[in-house]
Amino acid sequence: MPGPRLIDDYLAALSAALPPRIVEELADGLDETRRWHLGRGLAPDAAAQAAVAEFGDPQVIVTSFTQASSGRRTARRLLLIGPGVGLCWAITLITARAWQWPVPVAARVLFGLALITVIGLLAAAAAGRRYRPVCRAAAAACVGTAILDAVLACTVLVIAPTLMWPAAVAVALSAGRTGFALRSLPHALTG
Amino acid sequence: MRAEELKGHLDALLLAALEGGPRHGYAVMEALRQSTGGRLDLPTGTIYPALHRLEQAGLIKGSWSVVGGRRRRMYQLTAAGAEALSGKRASWRDFAAMMSAALEGPCPDPA
Repeated sequence: MPGPRLIDDYLAALSAALPPRIVEELADGLDETRRWHLGRGLAPDAAAQAAVAEFGDPQVIVTSFTQASSGRRTARRLLLIGPGVGLCWAITLITARAWQWPVPVAARVLFGLALITVIGLLAAAAAGRRYRPVCRAAAAACVGTAILDAVLACTVLVIAPTLMWPAAVAVALSAGRTGFALRSLPHALTG
Repeated sequence: MRAEELKGHLDALLLAALEGGPRHGYAVMEALRQSTGGRLDLPTGTIYPALHRLEQAGLIKGSWSVVGGRRRRMYQLTAAGAEALSGKRASWRDFAAMMSAALEGPCPDPA
């Protein structure tokens, strides 16, 4: 038997913003709530209305899930460790006089734009209020972070392999961050 | 008790509700209502994101089961969750004792 219209509309509002596995769980809980109200003698429509009221505003639920999502948590952690890793790379590149390296200007500009894009994606994932965009932004930022770290590490290892501690620390931090980003990627994708 | 007053304590309440054994989201809410004598005024829908957060933190473990032909997500306390609950209980006892002493004890004379 299809659920009352009110319940269907409520679930449709959740489905528009949340993944099916979460909506399935909420639908089960909503149905349990409706049955409980039916059990205490309410008419079907009134039971549906009481269940929906008891569950609360769908937007509040979506916001709560977004705040609890893996994507947001991953983005916040990457933003937190970003300045430290960035500082190590800055020391490494300044020490190595990286502006004198034979790297084409177009590649430098492309790297800069990619870096700004990744930071933007992380900020969007860390502060966004919509579940799916937050997860997508976090997943894209994880991939971007891993690529940027790999490009930096490979560039230093190829162009200035004799650099000692600043480069070693920066490469090690980037490797750790890449590992974290790639491990977090499946969770960010699924929320 | 309203949601804003529960800030910081919801995790402990959810962990305590799962201490007796695995429950699904609505059953967790029911358990909380019963244990608080119906004084808990929290939208049921907000329980689920909190459960997901606790699961991601490794304090509870979720698994799907089939009940009446329908899939249902069940949650149970993990060892880390039981330990966290124990710590939260101890913190709450300290906090409650301090507040009781301050609010209900004799007021010292001003010097």
